Amino acid sequence: MLLTSVVLILQETLEASLLVAILAVATLQTGHRLSWLPWGFLAGCALGFVYASNLQRVSEWFDYVGQELTNAALQLTIAVAVVLLSWLVVRSHARRGSKRAMDGDAAAAANGAEARPSGPPAVLFALLCALTIMLAITREGSEIMVYLGGFLGQDDKVQAVLIGSALGFGIGVSVGLLAFYGLLALGGRRGRWIPVALLALFSGNMLAQSALQLTQADWLQAGPTLWDSSTWLPEQSIAGHLLYALLGYESTPSLAQALAYLAGVAAVVVAALVATLVTPRTERRTP
Amino acid sequence: MVLPERQVRRSRRQVLLALAPAIAVCSAFAAPPVIEIEIREHLFYPPEVVIPADTKVKLLVRNLDPTPEEFESYELNREKVISGNSQAVIFIGPLPAGEYPFFGEFYPKTAQGKVRVE
Repeated sequence: MLLTSVVLILQETLEASLLVAILAVATLQTGHRLSWLPWGFLAGCALGFVYASNLQRVSEWFDYVGQELTNAALQLTIAVAVVLLSWLVVRSHARRGSKRAMDGDAAAAANGAEARPSGPPAVLFALLCALTIMLAITREGSEIMVYLGGFLGQDDKVQAVLIGSALGFGIGVSVGLLAFYGLLALGGRRGRWIPVALLALFSGNMLAQSALQLTQADWLQAGPTLWDSSTWLPEQSIAGHLLYALLGYESTPSLAQALAYLAGVAAVVVAALVATLVTPRTERRTP
Repeated sequence: MVLPERQVRRSRRQVLLALAPAIAVCSAFAAPPVIEIEIREHLFYPPEVVIPADTKVKLLVRNLDPTPEEFESYELNREKVISGNSQAVIFIGPLPAGEYPFFGEFYPKTAQGKVRVE
C-alpha cells in the first residue's frame, strides 16, 4: 500500500510541480512577482475538492463521459492560458532587451534596479499563471483526493497510505524545485528561451491529453497508431513517467494525439513570433 | 400494370445500390458492442475479456466496491477514475489483434486484467 501511494501521488504531483517550476522561472526572468503562486495553489486545492466530491455526478454527464469532457476542457483551457502566457513572456523579454540595447551595456549591467512590469499586462500575467496552476492542480489534486478519500475509515491502511502519499508528494515537489533552480541557474540570453520552449511542449502535451480524453469519450476518432516505442522506453518506467510529465511522452500515440500535440507547440511558436514582431519599432531600434 | 420480372429485379438492385451509402453510414455509426466488467474486492471480473479486432467497443465497468478505483492501461492508452458503488463507460478500439493488459491504479497488486483482441 505504501509503495503504491508513493508512485501514485508522485505521478499526480510531478506534472503540476514541473509546470509551477517553469512558470515561476518565467515570472522571475520577466521581473514579475510570484504572488500568483499561493493563490493559484489554494484555488486549485479548493476546486479539486469540489471536483473530487462531485466526481460521480460529473462522470454520469453526457452518457457517462462527463469526466473525460471535463478533463478535456480543463486541459484545453490550460493550453490556451499557456499560449497567452508565452506571448506575454516573449513580449516582456523583447521590450526589456530593446530597452537595455538603447540604454547601453553599462546601464544593462546595473539593471538590478530595473522597473518591475506593471499595469494591465502584469495583472494579466499573474491572473493567467494563477489560472493555469489552479486548473492543473484541480485535475491532479482531485485524483489524489478521490484516492485518499477511499481510505477514510479503513484504519488499518490509513497510516501506510498517508506516509506513502507524503513521500510521493515530497519527491514530486523536490523534482519541481530542482527544475526551478536548474532553469534559473541557466540564466543569460539562451536561458530565457528555455522556459518558453518548455511552455510550448507543455501546451502540446495538454492538447494531446485533451485529444486522448475526447477519444476515450468517443467524441473524436483516434486514427492510426503512429509508432510503438513501448519496448525500449515503456511509459511505466521512471524515465517514461518523467518524460510523460514534462513532454507528454506516449509510447503508442494516435494520429489525433500527435496532431493535437503539434498544434499546441505551433500555437506557442506563433505567439512568440507575434510577440517579437509587434514590439514597437522605436523600442526595438538599436543605437 | 404488372412489370416483367427482369425489370422488377433490376429496379430492386437499383434501390439497393442507391441505399448502399446510407447502409454503410448506418453501420459505421451503429452502437458499438458493450462489454461489462465488474470490480469486486479490488479484483476484475472477468479478468480477461475478448473483443473482435478492428472494432470499437464500449467497456462498461461497474465498481461494486465502496472504494474508488482507477481503470488504467498503458497499452490501451486509457485512464479513468471510477467512484465507489458506481459505473463508468470507457470506449476502446478499433484495435489490432493482441493482448492489452489493464489494472486498477489504486489497488494494482490485485486489480489486474486484460483485453484480448482477436
